[in-house]
Amino acid sequence: MTTATFDIPVGSQKPSSTAGIAVALLLPIALVNAIGFILPVFNLARMSFNEALPGGGIAEAFTGANWTELLQDSFYIELILNSIMVSLGITLATLLVSYPIALYLHRASGAWRTFLTVLVISPLLTSAVVRTYGWIALLAEQGPVANVIASMGFQPPRMMFNTTGVVIGLTEILMPYMILSLMAGFGRLDPKVEEAARTLGATPFRTFWRVILPLTLPGIALGCLLCFVLAISSFITPKLMGGGRVFLLATEIYDQAIVTLNWPLAATLSMLVLIIFGAALAVYSRVLRMIEG
Amino acid sequence: MMHQTIKRDGVETIGDPYLSLEGINKKYGLVEVISNLNLEVRKGELIALLGPSGCGKTTTLRMIAGLISPSAGKITVEGRDVTQIAPHGRDMGLVFQSYALFPHMTVAKNVAFGLEMRGLSRADIASKVAKALAMVQLGHLAERKPRELSGGQQQRVALARALVIEPSILLLDEPLSNLDAKLRDEMRTQIRDIQQQLGITTVFVTHDQVEALSMCDRIVVMKGGLIEQVGTPHEIYERPATPFVASFVGRTNRVKGRRMADGFIRIGSSTIRSTKPAGQDDVVVMVRPHRIHIDWNAASTEQPGETANQTAAVLSRITFVGDVIQYHFDVDGSEFIVEESTKKSQASHRQRDKAVLSWSVEDTLVFGADQ
Repeated sequence: MTTATFDIPVGSQKPSSTAGIAVALLLPIALVNAIGFILPVFNLARMSFNEALPGGGIAEAFTGANWTELLQDSFYIELILNSIMVSLGITLATLLVSYPIALYLHRASGAWRTFLTVLVISPLLTSAVVRTYGWIALLAEQGPVANVIASMGFQPPRMMFNTTGVVIGLTEILMPYMILSLMAGFGRLDPKVEEAARTLGATPFRTFWRVILPLTLPGIALGCLLCFVLAISSFITPKLMGGGRVFLLATEIYDQAIVTLNWPLAATLSMLVLIIFGAALAVYSRVLRMIEG
Repeated sequence: MMHQTIKRDGVETIGDPYLSLEGINKKYGLVEVISNLNLEVRKGELIALLGPSGCGKTTTLRMIAGLISPSAGKITVEGRDVTQIAPHGRDMGLVFQSYALFPHMTVAKNVAFGLEMRGLSRADIASKVAKALAMVQLGHLAERKPRELSGGQQQRVALARALVIEPSILLLDEPLSNLDAKLRDEMRTQIRDIQQQLGITTVFVTHDQVEALSMCDRIVVMKGGLIEQVGTPHEIYERPATPFVASFVGRTNRVKGRRMADGFIRIGSSTIRSTKPAGQDDVVVMVRPHRIHIDWNAASTEQPGETANQTAAVLSRITFVGDVIQYHFDVDGSEFIVEESTKKSQASHRQRDKAVLSWSVEDTLVFGADQ
């Protein structure tokens, strides 16, 4: 071997130029995000420490009064816990009804699969407002669902303007998101692996429990994160289907900002939702590490 | 192992088949992928389902495993009808082409799975898993995940997982096709050794004739959903039942000829003998390339005996393949390939060299032209 000179900076130009292109391509979205998201969030954070004056006035201040009110007033503590519980319930309900559909879609093939996938996504083409009014019509006191239950000889329960209505409505609205997330996370599920479990003596139930479910956990985690975040921040459906009787974080933020004109408190509630998002994301990445580990 | 083998009119029948497939038919819609398949497998036998892709060999294997059910017919194991039994009740170990290991479980957990499904105690499971992993020399990798293993190691885990449940039948679906050539040779020997050691009845699906010939007790050659021939590797190679078998298993020369009333076969201007009876029809004649002898002294006037055929030929091309050298001859317009083992001091021959090719009458395979 002859000695060769290794100090020729081959390719040292290239990475820097591709990095330049990358920065140039990222700049527009970074700018939009900075102006449209990060700046307002800082604004909100700042406002949550301002002082609310009666009649909608805001006094520049640096007080923790809004935060202590949130964390001490039993109404707000209940509101926060209620929001989290209802959102978790909606997430669980959405998961339960979406999982079989996603599994079936994962196994389907060809034109049939395409057709069904379009069918699953198609509700997204309709506004949530329209779908919510649809549910109000269906679940109303003299509506078709109540009539069917009554015709079977049962006393129809209240399904509208309470938490039940909100859960039913949001579950249906969030289903497409859940199904798509589940399907995205089903990549590791190979039909051959299920067959292997069957030939090794596993009943269909145990195959599901020991093989299918563990392999679909990444999809479940992703779908649950997405649906929880969407549920806790959803406003229109709880507002319309709750009939002013269901108190959730998003509706309360609206009421504080628009009705009571207490912007600092609305800002504080908004920041709290953001903190809950962060916590959900932390739980998600932890769960994901556990699954993949 | 004792096989109750009775030979009758050249057809092998067996006393008590361990696994038997009777009149198996499989249709997908209107397409029939398996037609009236009958097969009997003896206890402890390693049998290959050999054929090109789409011949129905994997479909047959999957029907034996219970993963798909036949449209018609019956599958029995030791006389017990298992046709309607779900895969988890069949007690068969299947090794998939893609291995299909459980990606979320360690190697040890993968192997333990079948034992857990059978409700064995923890201690039993641990000792059986350790034994199975030792058998495939993977004891040191028990706590790894499948993705951390090489293809060959994954393959052996799949084998251990299928064997640890001590299945009544081991099913192998192209288990070696994803391995590189050297590893394939090793695994071939290893699988055969383990199979012999355990005496386990095994059905082996492959499209590789070398695997089938070298590993198996008997070979089932399939084509288009039908069995072409069932026989020992020797029978399949030496006495192929159809031109398809002759050309799929091993290499062969193929020329058209005409069978005469005097029992000779005319190929161009040459006349050859065969072991087949006389007739008057068009035939296909096949001769294995390495069964032909070349006499480079074309002027030789030595007449072939009753047991040999010979024909004049002109050399058209030489291909050097390392361990063998292929001579391409022109015989009355049709090509004959002759293979010889290479030697260090290879005599040099050139295009247009004349030679006399001879081969024994026994090596002359004759088939009806319509087969």
